[in-house]
Amino acid sequence: MTMTTSNQPTTELSTPDRIAAHQSIVFDNVSKFYGEVLGVNRVTLTLPPGITGLVGPNGSGKTTLMNLMTGLLRPTDGTIRVLGESPSAGQHLFRHLGYCTQFDAFPAGMTGYQFIYSFLRVHGLAHTEADSLTWQALERVNLKDAAKRRVEGYSKGMRQRARLAQAISHQPKVLVLDEPLNGLDPMARAEVIALFQQLAAEGCHIIISSHILHEVDMISDQVVLLSSGYVVADGDVSGMRTEIHEHPIQVLMRCDKPSLVASRLFEHDFVVEASLHDDRRGLMIRTREADRFYGLLNSIIVDNDIDVETVTVADGDVNAVYKYLIGNEGEGR
Amino acid sequence: MSGLSVPETAQHPSLGQDPRAEPQTGSTDWGMMGRQLWGVLRIELRYSLFSRRFLAVAFLALAPVGLLILWALTPVAKEIAGGGSTQAMSMAAWIYAGYLSTSVFLSALILFMSLFRGDILQRSLHYYFLSPVRRQILVLGKFLAAWIAGAVTFATSTALIYLLCFLPLGLSGLSRHLFQGPGLGHLMIYAGISVLAIGGYGCIFLLAGLFLRNPVVAGVLIFGWESINFFLPALLKKLSVIFYLQSFYPVPPPQELFAIVAEPISPWLTVPGLLLFMVALLALASWRAQRMEINYGED
Repeated sequence: MTMTTSNQPTTELSTPDRIAAHQSIVFDNVSKFYGEVLGVNRVTLTLPPGITGLVGPNGSGKTTLMNLMTGLLRPTDGTIRVLGESPSAGQHLFRHLGYCTQFDAFPAGMTGYQFIYSFLRVHGLAHTEADSLTWQALERVNLKDAAKRRVEGYSKGMRQRARLAQAISHQPKVLVLDEPLNGLDPMARAEVIALFQQLAAEGCHIIISSHILHEVDMISDQVVLLSSGYVVADGDVSGMRTEIHEHPIQVLMRCDKPSLVASRLFEHDFVVEASLHDDRRGLMIRTREADRFYGLLNSIIVDNDIDVETVTVADGDVNAVYKYLIGNEGEGR
Repeated sequence: MSGLSVPETAQHPSLGQDPRAEPQTGSTDWGMMGRQLWGVLRIELRYSLFSRRFLAVAFLALAPVGLLILWALTPVAKEIAGGGSTQAMSMAAWIYAGYLSTSVFLSALILFMSLFRGDILQRSLHYYFLSPVRRQILVLGKFLAAWIAGAVTFATSTALIYLLCFLPLGLSGLSRHLFQGPGLGHLMIYAGISVLAIGGYGCIFLLAGLFLRNPVVAGVLIFGWESINFFLPALLKKLSVIFYLQSFYPVPPPQELFAIVAEPISPWLTVPGLLLFMVALLALASWRAQRMEINYGED
């Protein structure tokens, strides 16, 4: 693993290092304060190609770091280079960077197609090329059938996929994804993860943030762990992996047949607990093996034609794992 | 849902030649910037012409037209007709002065103040900021879209208002005034003033929307300043848009009571002066947009 972090600013780079810097995303002693509130502090980090996971509890600085590397925010201190470009020069950077933000807002009145197509026209593409790339992006996220519907009428998962399509539509070399799996049902989640892996295999840098550890663990080549605006761990994820696997995760699900799902899940020993909510649509499940659980859940949903409303990981258990992983480093800052 | 498919044509730029590659450094790709400007314009024109805010603008533009149609049916209109086209021209100048300082002013406020502020409040400004478009082009594209929408609307309604002022003269009287008298020229001048006014006020309100969290307060203050312009000393008069626009009037409107008269400026200086003023404000707006961060939480 080539990812490096430190609390010290980098010194003069040698020629090979400079070439490497042009193929990496480099944070050099970067801090961001919102008035007196800390966003991130003294981050020095080099992210190589491949999939990098930014993980940390809510408020740890993941989105701030992403907004800084895409120029939506300016650092209070330090410098950032994305493949050798400064994020402040958006007219260069965004030709090869796509950012799927968490902002769940869209220009009013646009259809899914118009949302991507208009974005590509603002890039400066001619009609034919913009049209072709729009359909390719919509096809990649499985949104072709809903392309002519207004985005306002989309479900949360569809809106998430529309944002993803926008981010990949111009075929960027760097893809920054802020909680991209939020709101997706298990099957869409698996498909999107496969898409990320394919894009990474094609040579794309993918920076993905999540507060769901097992997801990041599953797809990332390298992981940066953030807490309270500081990078507290990075690189070796084996300890994290063991810890994740030892802690049961708690999944909340809403669907039309929760009793059936619970009974099918209970046939497997890696499901520790499943309890029904009083409204007869909610289900809480605890499992020790997230990967096997999600695979099983997908097949149960397909085999029984279950209408899924949401599947989310409860934060409580995740925070317990963070607390263990971060330990004293996350305290007393 | 079927599995995600990857079209054979979808190839990452790193694997082949990227047709959207940037121009060589050091050169300015005017063609690319032109296409980006059109990309912004086509989105913003849609918002300027087919949105709720345009309904308010259309009301402000057409309400005086409706009132004039009703007026044309009254006995007062027949009295004006008795006074001939000279009296109708004075009336047109008087009506236009009121129309300019209320309908045109307020419409510019509605159209331009929300260009950036509206996107910030809707949390959708990042749509543009995530594309490789220069912020200067973004500012210009948004401004031009609103200006085109306002110019088309108010040039049309100005023409209608002017024609309605002469309607009591009858169709033959109107036709004589337009084609044998100064009517057509005056109509074109009034429409031109409306177009300039929309652009001039628009720049101010665009800038206010970029700098202020609550630009309506600025709008009210500017409205007050422009409204008392007739009362201001000659030097202060020159710090307003309305003063320069009045110098174009083909027929001077009747002066208000206690009005302080300042020497008008030649239209040959006023047009380039107003255009320079607009360019300066747009440059300032671009500078501001260049430094903007996306931090919706603060708004």
